[in-house]
Amino acid sequence: MLWRTIHRWLGLVAGTVALVLGLTGAVLSLDPVLSRWQAAPTPNGLSVAQLAERVAASTPGVEEIRRLPSGEVVVYAFDNGQARASRVDPASGQVLGAYQPSATMRWFKNLHRSFLLGDAGRLAAAGIALAMGLISVSGLVLLARRLGGWRQLGGRVRGTGVQRLHGVTGRLVLAVLLLTSITALTLSAATFGLVTLDAAPEPEVASSAATTGERPVAQLPLLRELPLRDLRKLNFPSIDDPADTWQVTTAQGQGWIDRHSGQTLAWQPASTAQRINDWAQLLHTGEGAWVWAPVLGLAGLCIPMFWVTGGMLWWQARRQRPHLASNSAPAQADTLIFVASENGSTWGFAQALHAALVQGGHRVHTAGLEGFAVPASARQVFVLAATYGDGQAPAHAAHALKRIARTPATPARVTVLGFGDRQFGAFCAYAEALDAALRERGWTTLVPLARIHQQSAQEFVRWGEQVGQALGEPLALRYRPRIPRTSELELVSRQDYPGGAGEPAAILRFKWPQVGWLARITGRALPRFAAGDLLGVLPPDGAAPRLYSLASSSRDGFVEICVRRRAGGVCSGYLHGLQPGARIQAFIRPNPAFTLGATRRPVMLIGAGTGVAPLAGFIRGNAGRAPMHLYYGVRDPALDYFFEADLQRWLDEQRLASLNTTFSRTPQGGGYVQDALKRDAARLRKLISGGAIVRVCGSQAMARGVAQALDAILGTVGLSVQQLKAHRRYAEDTF
Amino acid sequence: MKKPVLTTLAAAGALALPALAQSREVTLSTQLKNYGGDGAYLAVYLTDAKGAYAGTLWVAGGKAKYYKHLADWNRLSAGDAKRLQGVTGASVGAGRTLKVTADLADALIDAGYEIHVDAAVEDMRDSPSDIRVPLTAAGAGKAQAGKAYIQSFSYQLK
Repeated sequence: MLWRTIHRWLGLVAGTVALVLGLTGAVLSLDPVLSRWQAAPTPNGLSVAQLAERVAASTPGVEEIRRLPSGEVVVYAFDNGQARASRVDPASGQVLGAYQPSATMRWFKNLHRSFLLGDAGRLAAAGIALAMGLISVSGLVLLARRLGGWRQLGGRVRGTGVQRLHGVTGRLVLAVLLLTSITALTLSAATFGLVTLDAAPEPEVASSAATTGERPVAQLPLLRELPLRDLRKLNFPSIDDPADTWQVTTAQGQGWIDRHSGQTLAWQPASTAQRINDWAQLLHTGEGAWVWAPVLGLAGLCIPMFWVTGGMLWWQARRQRPHLASNSAPAQADTLIFVASENGSTWGFAQALHAALVQGGHRVHTAGLEGFAVPASARQVFVLAATYGDGQAPAHAAHALKRIARTPATPARVTVLGFGDRQFGAFCAYAEALDAALRERGWTTLVPLARIHQQSAQEFVRWGEQVGQALGEPLALRYRPRIPRTSELELVSRQDYPGGAGEPAAILRFKWPQVGWLARITGRALPRFAAGDLLGVLPPDGAAPRLYSLASSSRDGFVEICVRRRAGGVCSGYLHGLQPGARIQAFIRPNPAFTLGATRRPVMLIGAGTGVAPLAGFIRGNAGRAPMHLYYGVRDPALDYFFEADLQRWLDEQRLASLNTTFSRTPQGGGYVQDALKRDAARLRKLISGGAIVRVCGSQAMARGVAQALDAILGTVGLSVQQLKAHRRYAEDTF
Repeated sequence: MKKPVLTTLAAAGALALPALAQSREVTLSTQLKNYGGDGAYLAVYLTDAKGAYAGTLWVAGGKAKYYKHLADWNRLSAGDAKRLQGVTGASVGAGRTLKVTADLADALIDAGYEIHVDAAVEDMRDSPSDIRVPLTAAGAGKAQAGKAYIQSFSYQLK
């Protein structure tokens, strides 16, 4: 994870200097707009010859006419010992006033390109531009990873307000900043002479002998054919030198014209390097592109925002690392714990293991996995490794695998515990790779590799019991999950169902608290969420939070979950006891692998029981009317047909394209939901081979049944659930 | 109002004709106007009696991409591969003075040679041959004004 390191450190260090470039760039971007606004319009079809004739008549001693990128026409003259620069109306050739470029803008320009420090400053600014390019590219890579791949780059960015602000703005502005950085480097290369812009040496030209007298400018063929819009610069021949020529410069090249014969003596096309430089100039400064300039200005203004929010994100991640009580020195420790964690959550588990082992009388040393080393004193080693994205190592442990492969085995027993999410194809893949590398090297183990799904405290405690047995001593892991900042939610309505298995169920709807933007930005409010994200609910007795799939998104303006009351269930019992007006403490846990971004593709929704809740949320939010097909397993329509009336309405509104229900506890009810799939095999084959997305939600047994049924159905067209998962078209949310 | 004056003292390369060892030190001073812009690029060079390029005495400003704005010098000196050798320095700010010394062969003086100064400033006009004065013993010490950027130009012979 080199990218994160690059992004973080370049951002924090070079970003500080880039503030100056961003702010001065924003000021400078005003210039093309103001100049364009002041510029007199250039009439269509006006030729350079016509303008030159009019200017020559109105202004004595003209030496040069320039057309600036903004469309302004400036005339330089020398008359009666006076040098003059005037703005001229292109239509009439009349002088509008004196031309004097703004000293303020010049100061900002010099601050922007050289920090007012000459060549050293120019080099520094070029270095910052390079850093900016790397920050942009690394930001893009990180954003793609965060959103789950390059194809998901357009997806919703979730997280705290700061994360969203950084990510969403980044996605919009990144391309502009990258372009700005590339063009800055292009311009610097020309400034430092790394590329030569001039085509070839200028041709040796001279006007013919003055036999015919001066040819009036209106009769010069090259200038008659040249529209004013294409002009950069026209130099009049010198009064003193009869051999001098007209010289005209356009974007395409330069021409020289005989002042007497009127013939074009030479034409030199602009070099490729010059054309590239011209484009870089236009794209970097917005000169001559007054619509583009404000885009550049806004991108410049975003740099301070990125710097501040990026700094906040870095600081928050730093604070995530817990403090360890009584961490022994490695050489004194009999037990070592190594942690590989992307966002710091695995450290919480390490802390619990550390504390329990210390209580058992061990001398324990806990450290990051990047420092893997086993002194002779160590008897047992634990490696707690989270898997990030598609099986990658967390950033800080990027080289740990190589290090382990180099470390010779000792008698110490090394146990690996993986953390991950079953939604991803590569569940705990990094932990598996570590385990394989250790066994390859000949390390023995205390207990075999175990895998923890979604930071489950229960699974962790169970693993601790196994470890305790293997050590021959009690090991009581007291893992207190790091509870995110919670918000208070007020229950506004509940809809009760008798429930299919003697367990009543209810759809609970809470009010989404409206808060100010400041609270939202700083993460002190319930963040935005999508249907399929999880609501963490804290029971009042301090027990661990329970997670429920959300049946609504923040766009709906309320928070809705469907809860079955389980016998002895602490949290479900608590929720079922609530009446409207009651308040709970809750937080949002994003579930990006399962939620559904905006799509036009067909969507197969397969759910049973309360598992229909997130699917109902998808349908409710289907404003684009993507063809959504719901396969819905109910036990008994009289007992647990959740969302029945809503589903009928959504069918009428075409939010739902088709509804297929099965009732497993009624005669001729159609059996389980997977039975309905088998009956519709031909249709499903067609939909899924046509690119449909699949979402499955329900019990683990139901999800297994559905996957088996679909594998059987899709086998004939060479597809499988595994493949669909790999292409992120198939995701499950199970309980 | 008296402006602070920067004096750039530079020893330009000796410009001598073969077989004429006799030479004299010439000091050229170019004072710029307060034209209100960035540092000016200047090229100080000589042409002979026929107007042909005879040599470069000094080029102020180090970025080759701007040399085309010193149009006369750039055109005339294009064939001189050594035109920049040992005779370049920083650009000259508005209101400042550039002083250049050069060893010139005696034969160049009072022989129809002319001193030219081309000047250019970013985002402002180009002024090729902003000033053009004959190199004569009688003209030494006499200040002259240029067209666009040069407040006064003079040279001293030793």
